Amino acid sequence: MGNDRYDAIVVGAGPAGSAAAMTMAKNNMSVLLIERGEYAGAKNVFGGSVYRQPIEILIPAFWEEAPLERPVVSDELWLMDNDSAVKIGFTGLKFAKPPYNKFTAIRAKFDRWLADKAVKAGTRLITNTLVKDLLYEKTGIFDRKVSGVILESGDRIYSDIVILAEGVSGNLVEKAGLREKITPDDLTLYVKEILELPSGKVEERFNLEKNEGASIGMVGYPSSGAIGKGAIFTNKDSLSIMVGAYLNQIIDKGLNPHLLLKRLKQHPMVKRLIEGAKTVEFQAHTIPKGGYEQIPQLSAPGVMVTGDAAIMISGRRGTDLAMLTGMFAGEIAAQAKAAQDFSGEMLASYDRKVKNSFFMKDIAAGKGAKKYYELHPDADFLLSKAANDAAYDYFTVDLLSFNIKLEKIMGELKNMQPLPKTASDLYHGYLHWGVF
Amino acid sequence: MGNFLKTAENPLDYVEIKTDGTSHISIKEPRLCKEQCENKPCTYYCPTRVFYWDGDTQNIQVIYARCVECGACPYGCPHGNIDWHFPAGGYGVLYRHG
Repeated sequence: MGNDRYDAIVVGAGPAGSAAAMTMAKNNMSVLLIERGEYAGAKNVFGGSVYRQPIEILIPAFWEEAPLERPVVSDELWLMDNDSAVKIGFTGLKFAKPPYNKFTAIRAKFDRWLADKAVKAGTRLITNTLVKDLLYEKTGIFDRKVSGVILESGDRIYSDIVILAEGVSGNLVEKAGLREKITPDDLTLYVKEILELPSGKVEERFNLEKNEGASIGMVGYPSSGAIGKGAIFTNKDSLSIMVGAYLNQIIDKGLNPHLLLKRLKQHPMVKRLIEGAKTVEFQAHTIPKGGYEQIPQLSAPGVMVTGDAAIMISGRRGTDLAMLTGMFAGEIAAQAKAAQDFSGEMLASYDRKVKNSFFMKDIAAGKGAKKYYELHPDADFLLSKAANDAAYDYFTVDLLSFNIKLEKIMGELKNMQPLPKTASDLYHGYLHWGVF
Repeated sequence: MGNFLKTAENPLDYVEIKTDGTSHISIKEPRLCKEQCENKPCTYYCPTRVFYWDGDTQNIQVIYARCVECGACPYGCPHGNIDWHFPAGGYGVLYRHG
Protein backbone atom coordinates (compact mmCIF):
# COMPACT_ATOMS: atom_id res chain seq x y z
CA MET A 1 0.00 0.00 0.00
CA GLY A 2 3.04 2.30 0.15
CA ASN A 3 2.02 4.67 2.85
CA ASP A 4 -0.02 2.65 5.30
CA ARG A 5 -0.74 5.44 7.74
CA TYR A 6 -2.88 8.51 7.11
CA ASP A 7 -4.26 11.31 9.21
CA ALA A 8 -7.72 10.27 8.06
CA ILE A 9 -9.42 7.48 6.12
CA VAL A 10 -12.78 8.07 4.47
CA VAL A 11 -14.91 5.06 3.56
CA GLY A 12 -17.04 5.72 0.48
CA ALA A 13 -16.51 8.29 -2.30
CA GLY A 14 -20.10 9.53 -2.57
CA PRO A 15 -20.98 13.17 -1.89
CA ALA A 16 -20.43 12.85 1.88
CA GLY A 17 -17.09 11.08 1.60
CA SER A 18 -15.65 13.32 -1.09
CA ALA A 19 -16.76 16.47 0.76
CA ALA A 20 -15.10 15.19 3.95
CA ALA A 21 -11.91 14.19 2.12
CA MET A 22 -11.69 17.48 0.28
CA THR A 23 -12.20 19.50 3.46
CA MET A 24 -9.48 17.61 5.31
CA ALA A 25 -7.02 17.64 2.40
CA LYS A 26 -7.42 21.41 2.17
CA ASN A 27 -6.44 21.52 5.83
CA ASN A 28 -3.16 19.81 5.00
CA MET A 29 -4.16 16.43 6.33
CA SER A 30 -3.08 13.23 4.60
CA VAL A 31 -6.32 11.59 3.48
CA LEU A 32 -7.13 8.21 1.97
CA LEU A 33 -10.55 7.95 0.27
CA ILE A 34 -11.67 4.36 -0.34
CA GLU A 35 -14.38 3.51 -2.89
CA ARG A 36 -15.71 0.01 -3.54
CA GLY A 37 -16.98 0.82 -7.04
CA GLU A 38 -14.95 1.06 -10.23
CA TYR A 39 -15.23 4.83 -9.90
CA ALA A 40 -16.92 7.27 -7.55
CA GLY A 41 -20.64 7.26 -8.34
CA ALA A 42 -20.67 3.77 -9.88
CA LYS A 43 -23.01 2.54 -7.14
CA ASN A 44 -25.08 5.63 -6.53
CA VAL A 45 -28.66 6.49 -7.37
CA PHE A 46 -30.57 9.61 -6.37
CA GLY A 47 -33.77 11.55 -6.90
CA GLY A 48 -32.55 13.85 -9.56
CA SER A 49 -31.32 17.29 -8.53
CA VAL A 50 -28.54 18.98 -6.58
CA TYR A 51 -29.03 22.25 -4.76
CA ARG A 52 -26.98 25.36 -5.33
CA GLN A 53 -26.82 27.06 -1.92
CA PRO A 54 -25.53 24.16 0.20
CA ILE A 55 -22.99 22.99 -2.39
CA GLU A 56 -21.73 26.51 -2.93
CA ILE A 57 -20.51 26.51 0.69
CA LEU A 58 -18.15 23.71 -0.23
CA ILE A 59 -17.26 24.77 -3.77
CA PRO A 60 -18.04 28.38 -4.72
CA ALA A 61 -19.52 28.80 -8.21
CA PHE A 62 -19.38 25.02 -8.74
CA TRP A 63 -21.85 25.30 -11.61
CA GLU A 64 -19.14 26.75 -13.81
CA GLU A 65 -17.22 23.47 -13.78
CA ALA A 66 -19.43 20.67 -12.42
CA PRO A 67 -21.08 18.20 -14.81
CA LEU A 68 -24.70 19.30 -14.40
CA GLU A 69 -27.70 18.62 -16.61
CA ARG A 70 -30.22 21.48 -16.49
CA PRO A 71 -30.97 24.27 -14.00
CA VAL A 72 -34.48 23.58 -12.73
CA VAL A 73 -36.91 26.45 -13.35
CA SER A 74 -40.17 24.59 -12.99
CA ASP A 75 -41.38 22.44 -10.10
CA GLU A 76 -44.71 20.69 -10.07
CA LEU A 77 -46.53 18.39 -7.69
CA TRP A 78 -49.17 16.20 -9.25
CA LEU A 79 -51.89 14.59 -7.13
CA MET A 80 -52.73 11.80 -9.52
CA ASP A 81 -55.65 9.57 -10.23
CA ASN A 82 -56.21 7.12 -13.08
CA ASP A 83 -56.82 9.67 -15.84
CA SER A 84 -56.39 13.03 -14.15
CA ALA A 85 -54.04 15.09 -12.01
CA VAL A 86 -54.41 18.12 -9.77
CA LYS A 87 -51.25 20.10 -10.39
CA ILE A 88 -49.58 22.53 -8.02
CA GLY A 89 -46.48 24.24 -9.27
CA PHE A 90 -44.17 27.14 -9.78
CA THR A 91 -42.04 28.33 -12.67
CA GLY A 92 -39.41 30.97 -11.94
CA LEU A 93 -37.19 32.01 -14.82
CA LYS A 94 -34.74 33.72 -12.47
CA PHE A 95 -33.68 30.17 -11.66
CA ALA A 96 -32.36 29.80 -15.22
CA LYS A 97 -29.61 32.35 -14.55
CA PRO A 98 -26.64 32.48 -12.17
CA PRO A 99 -26.52 31.86 -9.30
CA TYR A 100 -29.37 29.42 -10.08
CA ASN A 101 -31.35 27.38 -7.55
CA LYS A 102 -30.88 23.70 -8.30
CA PHE A 103 -29.76 21.48 -11.14
CA THR A 104 -30.69 18.05 -12.42
CA ALA A 105 -27.63 15.83 -12.45
CA ILE A 106 -26.33 12.35 -13.22
CA ARG A 107 -24.63 10.91 -10.18
CA ALA A 108 -22.11 8.78 -12.06
CA LYS A 109 -20.75 12.05 -13.51
CA PHE A 110 -21.30 14.39 -10.56
CA ASP A 111 -19.82 12.11 -7.90
CA ARG A 112 -16.82 11.40 -10.09
CA TRP A 113 -16.22 15.10 -10.51
CA LEU A 114 -16.54 15.72 -6.76
CA ALA A 115 -14.14 12.89 -5.91
CA ASP A 116 -11.74 14.38 -8.44
CA LYS A 117 -11.98 17.72 -6.62
CA ALA A 118 -10.96 15.91 -3.43
CA VAL A 119 -8.04 14.33 -5.28
CA LYS A 120 -6.92 17.69 -6.65
CA ALA A 121 -6.98 19.01 -3.08
CA GLY A 122 -4.48 16.30 -2.15
CA THR A 123 -6.59 13.26 -1.27
CA ARG A 124 -5.41 9.81 -2.29
CA LEU A 125 -8.34 7.93 -3.87
CA ILE A 126 -8.39 4.16 -4.27
CA THR A 127 -11.29 2.51 -6.10
CA ASN A 128 -12.34 -1.15 -6.53
CA THR A 129 -11.63 -1.59 -2.84
CA LEU A 130 -13.97 -2.79 -0.14
CA VAL A 131 -13.45 -2.03 3.54
CA LYS A 132 -14.30 -5.11 5.59
CA ASP A 133 -14.04 -3.81 9.11
CA LEU A 134 -12.69 -1.14 11.42
CA LEU A 135 -9.47 -1.43 13.43
CA TYR A 136 -9.46 -0.51 17.09
CA GLU A 137 -6.80 0.31 19.64
CA LYS A 138 -7.26 0.06 23.38
CA THR A 139 -7.26 3.38 25.19
CA GLY A 140 -8.21 2.10 28.63
CA ILE A 141 -9.53 -0.98 30.34
CA PHE A 142 -12.97 -0.60 28.80
CA ASP A 143 -12.28 2.05 26.21
CA ARG A 144 -11.22 1.72 22.62
CA LYS A 145 -10.67 4.02 19.73
CA VAL A 146 -11.07 3.42 16.00
CA SER A 147 -7.58 3.40 14.56
CA GLY A 148 -7.98 2.41 10.92
CA VAL A 149 -9.61 -0.05 8.54
CA ILE A 150 -9.17 -3.62 7.34
CA LEU A 151 -9.60 -4.17 3.60
CA GLU A 152 -11.07 -7.33 2.10
CA SER A 153 -7.53 -8.27 1.06
CA GLY A 154 -6.66 -8.36 4.76
CA ASP A 155 -4.46 -5.27 4.43
CA ARG A 156 -4.63 -2.95 7.40
CA ILE A 157 -4.40 0.80 7.03
CA TYR A 158 -4.05 3.00 10.07
CA SER A 159 -5.29 6.51 10.74
CA ASP A 160 -6.11 8.88 13.58
CA ILE A 161 -9.66 9.30 12.29
CA VAL A 162 -12.02 7.24 10.16
CA ILE A 163 -15.02 8.93 8.54
CA LEU A 164 -17.79 6.58 7.50
CA ALA A 165 -19.63 7.61 4.33
CA GLU A 166 -20.60 4.15 3.18
CA GLY A 167 -24.22 4.96 2.35
CA VAL A 168 -27.38 3.40 3.69
CA SER A 169 -26.53 -0.21 2.89
CA GLY A 170 -23.08 -0.39 4.45
CA ASN A 171 -22.70 -2.25 7.71
CA LEU A 172 -19.67 -0.62 9.32
CA VAL A 173 -21.81 1.85 11.28
CA GLU A 174 -23.74 -1.05 12.74
CA LYS A 175 -20.58 -3.06 13.36
CA ALA A 176 -19.12 -0.11 15.25
CA GLY A 177 -22.18 -0.24 17.50
CA LEU A 178 -23.33 3.26 16.53
CA ARG A 179 -26.62 2.34 14.90
CA GLU A 180 -29.51 0.08 15.83
CA LYS A 181 -30.75 -2.42 13.29
CA ILE A 182 -32.68 -0.74 10.46
CA THR A 183 -36.27 -1.95 10.01
CA PRO A 184 -38.31 -1.87 6.76
CA ASP A 185 -40.36 1.11 7.96
CA ASP A 186 -37.08 3.08 8.17
CA LEU A 187 -36.50 2.66 4.45
CA THR A 188 -38.08 3.58 1.18
CA LEU A 189 -37.25 1.57 -1.91
CA TYR A 190 -37.03 3.41 -5.23
CA VAL A 191 -36.58 2.22 -8.78
CA LYS A 192 -35.60 4.52 -11.60
CA GLU A 193 -35.04 4.50 -15.32
CA ILE A 194 -33.02 6.82 -17.49
CA LEU A 195 -34.89 7.40 -20.73
CA GLU A 196 -33.01 8.84 -23.68
CA LEU A 197 -34.86 11.66 -25.42
CA PRO A 198 -33.38 14.29 -27.78
CA SER A 199 -32.96 17.65 -26.02
CA GLY A 200 -35.35 19.38 -28.44
CA LYS A 201 -38.10 16.94 -27.51
CA VAL A 202 -37.40 17.37 -23.79
CA GLU A 203 -37.85 21.13 -24.19
CA GLU A 204 -40.96 20.81 -26.32
CA ARG A 205 -42.73 18.39 -24.00
CA PHE A 206 -41.89 20.16 -20.75
CA ASN A 207 -42.34 23.66 -22.11
CA LEU A 208 -38.72 24.65 -21.59
CA GLU A 209 -36.11 26.73 -23.34
CA LYS A 210 -32.64 25.39 -23.95
CA ASN A 211 -30.79 25.21 -20.64
CA GLU A 212 -33.93 25.08 -18.52
CA GLY A 213 -35.10 22.05 -16.58
CA ALA A 214 -38.26 20.81 -14.91
CA SER A 215 -39.17 18.44 -12.15
CA ILE A 216 -42.49 16.79 -11.44
CA GLY A 217 -43.26 15.05 -8.16
CA MET A 218 -46.24 12.72 -8.14
CA VAL A 219 -48.33 11.24 -5.33
CA GLY A 220 -51.40 9.05 -5.35
CA TYR A 221 -51.48 6.83 -8.42
CA PRO A 222 -47.73 6.08 -8.78
CA SER A 223 -47.25 4.13 -5.55
CA SER A 224 -50.47 2.14 -5.95
CA GLY A 225 -51.89 2.55 -2.47
CA ALA A 226 -48.59 2.62 -0.58
CA ILE A 227 -47.15 5.82 0.86
CA GLY A 228 -44.64 6.83 -1.75
CA LYS A 229 -43.87 9.08 -4.66
CA GLY A 230 -43.17 9.14 -8.32
CA ALA A 231 -41.09 11.74 -10.13
CA ILE A 232 -39.78 12.85 -13.48
CA PHE A 233 -36.69 15.01 -13.92
CA THR A 234 -35.44 16.46 -17.17
CA ASN A 235 -31.77 15.93 -17.97
CA LYS A 236 -29.98 17.37 -21.01
CA ASP A 237 -31.02 14.67 -23.42
CA SER A 238 -32.73 12.19 -21.18
CA LEU A 239 -35.44 11.92 -18.55
CA SER A 240 -35.17 10.33 -15.11
CA ILE A 241 -38.38 8.63 -14.09
CA MET A 242 -38.75 6.96 -10.73
CA VAL A 243 -41.18 5.59 -8.23
CA GLY A 244 -40.87 4.23 -4.72
CA ALA A 245 -42.54 3.75 -1.38
CA TYR A 246 -41.95 2.66 2.20
CA LEU A 247 -40.42 -0.80 2.10
CA ASN A 248 -42.78 -2.19 4.76
CA GLN A 249 -45.78 -1.05 2.71
CA ILE A 250 -44.37 -2.47 -0.53
CA ILE A 251 -44.12 -5.77 1.34
CA ASP A 252 -47.54 -5.55 3.02
CA LYS A 253 -49.30 -4.67 -0.21
CA GLY A 254 -47.45 -7.24 -2.29
CA LEU A 255 -45.98 -4.73 -4.72
CA ASN A 256 -43.04 -5.22 -7.06
CA PRO A 257 -41.18 -1.93 -7.54
CA HIS A 258 -40.29 -2.61 -11.15
CA LEU A 259 -43.92 -3.26 -11.98
CA LEU A 260 -44.87 0.01 -10.26
CA LEU A 261 -42.51 1.84 -12.58
CA LYS A 262 -43.87 0.05 -15.61
CA ARG A 263 -47.38 0.99 -14.50
CA LEU A 264 -46.42 4.64 -14.00
CA LYS A 265 -44.89 4.77 -17.47
CA GLN A 266 -48.23 3.64 -18.88
CA HIS A 267 -50.27 6.35 -17.14
CA PRO A 268 -51.84 8.39 -19.95
CA MET A 269 -50.41 11.67 -18.67
CA VAL A 270 -46.93 10.26 -18.21
CA LYS A 271 -46.94 8.23 -21.41
CA ARG A 272 -47.18 11.34 -23.58
CA LEU A 273 -44.13 12.82 -21.84
CA ILE A 274 -41.93 9.80 -22.38
CA GLU A 275 -43.30 8.58 -25.73
CA GLY A 276 -40.52 7.25 -27.93
CA ALA A 277 -37.86 7.64 -25.25
CA LYS A 278 -35.48 4.70 -25.01
CA THR A 279 -34.56 3.13 -21.67
CA VAL A 280 -30.79 3.25 -21.24
CA GLU A 281 -30.47 2.30 -17.58
CA PHE A 282 -32.48 0.66 -14.83
CA GLN A 283 -31.58 1.48 -11.24
CA ALA A 284 -32.82 0.66 -7.77
CA HIS A 285 -31.86 1.89 -4.32
CA THR A 286 -33.14 2.22 -0.80
CA ILE A 287 -33.30 5.64 0.84
CA PRO A 288 -33.25 5.88 4.63
CA LYS A 289 -36.49 7.54 5.68
CA GLY A 290 -36.28 6.79 9.36
CA GLY A 291 -36.12 10.42 10.46
CA TYR A 292 -35.08 11.85 13.76
CA GLU A 293 -35.46 8.74 15.91
CA GLN A 294 -33.30 6.67 13.58
CA ILE A 295 -30.27 8.93 13.44
CA PRO A 296 -27.34 6.94 14.81
CA GLN A 297 -24.75 8.06 17.27
CA LEU A 298 -22.77 10.36 14.97
CA SER A 299 -19.34 9.93 16.52
CA ALA A 300 -17.25 7.78 18.82
CA PRO A 301 -13.54 7.89 19.65
CA GLY A 302 -11.70 8.07 16.31
CA VAL A 303 -14.77 7.83 14.07
CA MET A 304 -17.55 10.01 12.60
CA VAL A 305 -20.59 9.03 10.52
CA THR A 306 -21.88 11.13 7.58
CA GLY A 307 -24.48 11.23 4.82
CA ASP A 308 -26.94 8.39 4.22
CA ALA A 309 -24.98 6.19 6.64
CA ALA A 310 -26.04 8.73 9.28
CA ILE A 311 -29.65 8.79 7.92
CA MET A 312 -29.23 12.44 6.91
CA ILE A 313 -32.38 12.82 4.86
CA SER A 314 -34.95 15.59 5.06
CA GLY A 315 -37.81 15.48 2.59
CA ARG A 316 -36.18 15.47 -0.81
CA ARG A 317 -32.82 16.61 0.51
CA GLY A 318 -30.11 14.02 0.84
CA THR A 319 -27.20 14.69 -1.51
CA ASP A 320 -26.69 18.20 -0.14
CA LEU A 321 -27.03 17.09 3.48
CA ALA A 322 -24.47 14.38 2.74
CA MET A 323 -22.05 17.02 1.47
CA LEU A 324 -22.72 19.30 4.44
CA THR A 325 -22.28 16.56 7.06
CA GLY A 326 -19.15 15.40 5.22
CA MET A 327 -17.80 18.92 5.33
CA PHE A 328 -18.68 19.30 9.04
CA ALA A 329 -16.91 16.02 9.84
CA GLY A 330 -13.88 17.15 7.83
CA GLU A 331 -13.74 20.44 9.74
CA ILE A 332 -13.95 18.73 13.12
CA ALA A 333 -11.28 16.25 12.00
CA ALA A 334 -8.99 19.16 11.16
CA GLN A 335 -9.57 20.66 14.60
CA ALA A 336 -8.94 17.29 16.23
CA LYS A 337 -5.70 16.97 14.29
CA ALA A 338 -4.57 20.44 15.35
CA ALA A 339 -5.30 19.58 18.99
CA GLN A 340 -3.96 16.00 18.59
CA ASP A 341 -7.13 14.92 20.37
CA PHE A 342 -9.26 12.21 18.78
CA SER A 343 -11.29 11.37 21.85
CA GLY A 344 -15.04 10.92 21.90
CA GLU A 345 -15.36 14.25 23.65
CA MET A 346 -13.51 16.12 20.91
CA LEU A 347 -15.42 14.45 18.08
CA ALA A 348 -18.74 15.03 19.85
CA SER A 349 -18.52 18.60 18.61
CA TYR A 350 -19.42 17.07 15.24
CA ASP A 351 -22.65 15.73 16.77
CA ARG A 352 -23.38 19.18 18.15
CA LYS A 353 -22.65 20.87 14.84
CA VAL A 354 -25.05 18.57 13.01
CA LYS A 355 -27.70 18.82 15.71
CA ASN A 356 -27.63 22.63 15.59
CA SER A 357 -27.93 22.76 11.80
CA PHE A 358 -30.99 24.03 9.95
CA PHE A 359 -31.64 20.63 8.41
CA MET A 360 -31.71 18.86 11.75
CA LYS A 361 -34.52 21.21 12.76
CA ASP A 362 -36.40 20.07 9.65
CA ILE A 363 -35.64 16.41 10.34
CA ALA A 364 -36.90 16.87 13.90
CA ALA A 365 -40.05 18.62 12.65
CA GLY A 366 -40.73 15.65 10.37
CA LYS A 367 -40.76 13.41 13.42
CA GLY A 368 -43.97 11.44 13.61
CA ALA A 369 -44.45 11.07 9.83
CA LYS A 370 -43.45 7.43 10.08
CA LYS A 371 -45.96 6.77 12.83
CA TYR A 372 -48.73 8.66 11.03
CA TYR A 373 -48.25 6.67 7.85
CA GLU A 374 -48.09 3.42 9.76
CA LEU A 375 -51.55 4.22 11.12
CA HIS A 376 -52.88 5.69 7.87
CA PRO A 377 -51.10 4.05 4.93
CA ASP A 378 -54.01 5.12 2.71
CA ALA A 379 -53.63 8.87 3.41
CA ASP A 380 -51.95 9.89 0.14
CA PHE A 381 -54.22 7.73 -1.94
CA LEU A 382 -57.38 9.16 -0.34
CA LEU A 383 -56.16 12.73 -0.73
CA SER A 384 -55.31 12.32 -4.38
CA LYS A 385 -58.57 10.58 -5.05
CA ALA A 386 -60.56 13.29 -3.24
CA ALA A 387 -58.67 16.11 -4.95
CA ASN A 388 -59.27 14.63 -8.39
CA ASP A 389 -62.94 13.83 -7.79
CA ALA A 390 -63.53 17.35 -6.49
CA ALA A 391 -61.63 18.87 -9.39
CA TYR A 392 -63.60 16.85 -11.93
CA ASP A 393 -66.81 18.18 -10.33
CA TYR A 394 -65.49 21.71 -10.13
CA PHE A 395 -64.24 21.92 -13.68
CA THR A 396 -67.18 20.12 -15.25
CA VAL A 397 -69.42 22.70 -16.92
CA ASP A 398 -72.84 21.58 -15.75
CA LEU A 399 -76.34 22.88 -15.11
CA LEU A 400 -76.03 23.41 -11.35
CA SER A 401 -75.86 26.72 -9.56
CA PHE A 402 -72.44 27.41 -8.09
CA ASN A 403 -73.64 27.01 -4.49
CA ILE A 404 -75.30 23.67 -5.17
CA LYS A 405 -72.15 22.53 -6.92
CA LEU A 406 -69.97 23.41 -3.93
CA GLU A 407 -72.40 21.63 -1.62
CA LYS A 408 -72.16 18.57 -3.81
CA ILE A 409 -68.36 18.62 -3.70
CA MET A 410 -68.32 19.08 0.07
CA GLY A 411 -70.85 16.26 0.45
CA GLU A 412 -68.63 13.91 -1.53
CA LEU A 413 -65.58 14.91 0.49
CA LYS A 414 -67.44 14.21 3.74
CA ASN A 415 -68.66 10.89 2.40
CA MET A 416 -65.11 9.74 1.83
CA GLN A 417 -63.89 10.34 5.36
CA PRO A 418 -64.48 12.90 8.15
CA LEU A 419 -63.17 16.32 7.18
CA PRO A 420 -60.73 16.60 10.13
CA LYS A 421 -59.04 13.41 8.91
CA THR A 422 -58.72 14.88 5.41
CA ALA A 423 -57.25 18.04 6.93
CA SER A 424 -54.82 15.98 8.97
CA ASP A 425 -53.82 13.90 5.91
CA LEU A 426 -53.21 17.12 4.05
CA TYR A 427 -51.10 18.55 6.88
CA HIS A 428 -48.96 15.42 7.03
CA GLY A 429 -48.70 15.36 3.26
CA TYR A 430 -47.46 18.91 3.35
CA LEU A 431 -44.81 17.97 5.93
CA HIS A 432 -43.86 14.68 4.33
CA TRP A 433 -43.98 15.07 0.55
CA GLY A 434 -41.18 17.62 0.53
CA VAL A 435 -41.24 17.66 -3.23
CA PHE A 436 -40.31 21.30 -3.68
CA MET B 1 -35.85 -18.22 -14.36
CA GLY B 2 -37.48 -17.35 -17.66
CA ASN B 3 -39.25 -14.11 -18.27
CA PHE B 4 -39.22 -11.49 -15.61
CA LEU B 5 -42.64 -10.19 -16.54
CA LYS B 6 -45.47 -11.40 -18.66
CA THR B 7 -43.88 -9.41 -21.44
CA ALA B 8 -40.34 -10.11 -22.50
CA GLU B 9 -39.10 -6.89 -20.92
CA ASN B 10 -36.44 -7.42 -18.30
CA PRO B 11 -34.91 -4.58 -16.25
CA LEU B 12 -31.60 -6.42 -16.26
CA ASP B 13 -31.30 -5.70 -19.98
CA TYR B 14 -30.65 -2.11 -18.98
CA VAL B 15 -28.03 -2.40 -16.28
CA GLU B 16 -24.42 -3.51 -16.20
CA ILE B 17 -23.44 -6.01 -13.51
CA LYS B 18 -19.93 -7.43 -13.17
CA THR B 19 -19.91 -10.77 -11.38
CA ASP B 20 -16.92 -12.52 -9.83
CA GLY B 21 -18.35 -16.00 -9.40
CA THR B 22 -18.92 -15.63 -5.66
CA SER B 23 -22.34 -14.97 -4.23
CA HIS B 24 -22.63 -12.08 -1.78
CA ILE B 25 -26.17 -13.13 -0.84
CA SER B 26 -27.28 -16.23 1.01
CA ILE B 27 -30.23 -17.57 2.96
CA LYS B 28 -29.14 -18.10 6.54
CA GLU B 29 -31.55 -20.88 7.47
CA PRO B 30 -33.24 -22.35 4.35
CA ARG B 31 -35.73 -24.39 6.40
CA LEU B 32 -37.17 -21.21 7.85
CA CYS B 33 -38.44 -20.04 4.43
CA LYS B 34 -40.34 -23.27 3.95
CA GLU B 35 -41.66 -23.72 7.45
CA GLN B 36 -42.32 -20.23 8.74
CA CYS B 37 -42.53 -17.78 5.86
CA GLU B 38 -46.02 -17.58 4.47
CA ASN B 39 -45.75 -14.94 1.75
CA LYS B 40 -42.07 -15.11 0.85
CA PRO B 41 -42.00 -11.36 0.14
CA CYS B 42 -38.37 -11.45 -1.07
CA THR B 43 -39.74 -13.02 -4.24
CA TYR B 44 -41.62 -9.80 -5.06
CA TYR B 45 -40.12 -6.78 -3.28
CA CYS B 46 -36.65 -7.33 -4.73
CA PRO B 47 -36.70 -5.00 -7.78
CA THR B 48 -34.62 -7.34 -9.94
CA ARG B 49 -35.98 -10.62 -8.57
CA VAL B 50 -32.84 -12.11 -7.15
CA PHE B 51 -34.96 -14.56 -5.15
CA TYR B 52 -37.41 -17.17 -6.35
CA TRP B 53 -39.20 -20.10 -4.76
CA ASP B 54 -38.10 -23.43 -6.14
CA GLY B 55 -40.99 -25.86 -5.75
CA ASP B 56 -38.82 -28.91 -6.46
CA THR B 57 -36.28 -28.33 -3.72
CA GLN B 58 -38.72 -26.35 -1.51
CA ASN B 59 -36.08 -23.66 -1.12
CA ILE B 60 -35.61 -20.00 -1.92
CA GLN B 61 -33.08 -19.85 -4.73
CA VAL B 62 -30.72 -16.90 -4.95
CA ILE B 63 -29.38 -15.55 -8.23
CA TYR B 64 -26.80 -13.09 -6.97
CA ALA B 65 -25.85 -12.09 -10.52
CA ARG B 66 -29.17 -10.20 -10.77
CA CYS B 67 -28.44 -8.03 -7.71
CA VAL B 68 -28.18 -4.25 -8.21
CA GLU B 69 -27.30 -3.65 -4.54
CA CYS B 70 -30.38 -1.61 -3.68
CA GLY B 71 -29.99 -2.71 -0.09
CA ALA B 72 -33.62 -3.71 0.54
CA CYS B 73 -33.44 -7.49 0.99
CA PRO B 74 -31.75 -7.89 4.37
CA TYR B 75 -34.21 -5.43 5.94
CA GLY B 76 -37.32 -6.56 4.10
CA CYS B 77 -37.12 -10.25 5.05
CA PRO B 78 -39.67 -10.71 7.85
CA HIS B 79 -37.47 -13.35 9.46
CA GLY B 80 -34.15 -11.56 9.04
CA ASN B 81 -33.10 -14.64 7.11
CA ILE B 82 -31.19 -13.01 4.26
CA ASP B 83 -27.48 -12.49 4.60
CA TRP B 84 -26.45 -9.75 2.21
CA HIS B 85 -23.20 -7.84 2.05
CA PHE B 86 -21.38 -5.74 -0.52
CA PRO B 87 -19.87 -7.70 -3.40
CA ALA B 88 -16.08 -7.64 -3.65
CA GLY B 89 -14.50 -4.32 -4.52
CA GLY B 90 -14.86 -3.46 -8.21
CA TYR B 91 -17.62 -6.03 -8.77
CA GLY B 92 -21.39 -5.81 -8.80
CA VAL B 93 -23.54 -3.12 -10.35
CA LEU B 94 -21.93 -0.39 -12.43
CA TYR B 95 -24.14 2.61 -13.02
CA ARG B 96 -23.32 4.95 -15.89
CA HIS B 97 -26.22 7.35 -15.36
CA GLY B 98 -27.06 7.13 -11.61
